[in-house]
Amino acid sequence: MTRPDPRRRANRAWLLVLPVVVSVAFTAVIPLMTVVNFSVQDVFSPTDRVFVGLDWFYEAVRRPENREAFVRTLLFSAQVLLVEIPLGVAIAVAMPRRGVWVSVALVLVALPLLIPWNVVGTIWQIFARPDIGLGGWTVANLLGVDYNYTLDSTDAWITILVMDVWHWTPLVALLAYAGLRSIPQPYFQAAQIDGASAWATFRHIQLPRLRGVLTIAILLRFMDSFMIYTEPFVVTGGGPGNATTFLSILLSKMAVGQFDVGPAGAFSLIYFLVVQILCYVFFTALTRSGR
Amino acid sequence: MFEWMVWTPPTALVFAGLALLLVVMTVWGHFSPPVARRGFLRIETDRGDRLYIGLIGAAVVLVGWMAVTDLSMWLALGCAVLVVVVIGIWG
Repeated sequence: MTRPDPRRRANRAWLLVLPVVVSVAFTAVIPLMTVVNFSVQDVFSPTDRVFVGLDWFYEAVRRPENREAFVRTLLFSAQVLLVEIPLGVAIAVAMPRRGVWVSVALVLVALPLLIPWNVVGTIWQIFARPDIGLGGWTVANLLGVDYNYTLDSTDAWITILVMDVWHWTPLVALLAYAGLRSIPQPYFQAAQIDGASAWATFRHIQLPRLRGVLTIAILLRFMDSFMIYTEPFVVTGGGPGNATTFLSILLSKMAVGQFDVGPAGAFSLIYFLVVQILCYVFFTALTRSGR
Repeated sequence: MFEWMVWTPPTALVFAGLALLLVVMTVWGHFSPPVARRGFLRIETDRGDRLYIGLIGAAVVLVGWMAVTDLSMWLALGCAVLVVVVIGIWG
């Protein structure tokens, strides 16, 4: 039997890709093109619209609220990484390697990851309340701290940060744990023979070997925290004032709340650009670390 | 049918240009398959990768320009094209 020409077989692959192309065009490309069209116009209705050029883009990059939200979101992402990455690695190092406690530890650590975003928000909204919430009441009454996340912007910020740490550190811990488990035993035996301390073993054997998974963890957590929406929306609604108004909350207020589709279009395209750059860095780092 | 997409001539031109760019790259790739190499970006890229990075870089230049200066956007466009060309050739 003669085998079909490989070039023709490669052409047949195009046919199989077609459904994906069509569905992506329908769900992503065409809506995105529409957003681009909206971003250069003041649209009152499909028939009643004015071309405004780059005005909305100037507004998007120059409006103080937008700049503040951008800085706020970057700051939040930086804090998330600074807390979650070391904490996640510490938890992973402390988790048992063998025995029955492995499954117990894994289930306990993974539990917060199984809870949907909006439920996490609802849990923390009640948990952190100083009058009826267990956490808020403890901080306010037992520790004597003047704590109220609905009135004080620092309290609101800390509440959102702690909530994110609670929700997502397990992801870092599980990734780091998987990375630690893949280190061959002879490394540890050699370290033991050399009389290396626990810190030296961690610093020179475990940490270098965690580079790959930590790259994934850092990029995942950065992207995710940079796009955070549901939890702060449920807990603080962006307040008090603008204290927890992150980029996505500001954008949805603009697009859905005030129906300013032009400015919201320009703003979301710039937001999209930032996320796009992060995704590309993510993708490049991942494919390069695999080599 | 496309009334709801609220097209304007400039955006139509931009998307037509992008589509044309994709077609040109596809035809070019068919007749002379791209070769991956390392340039000043220090990651392995073929010409499609460099075009993508160049376009993203151009977008960053345009947005950054609007954020910091009132100078003409045509100047910014010139810089953006320069970025695409430089990354495309030496990136």
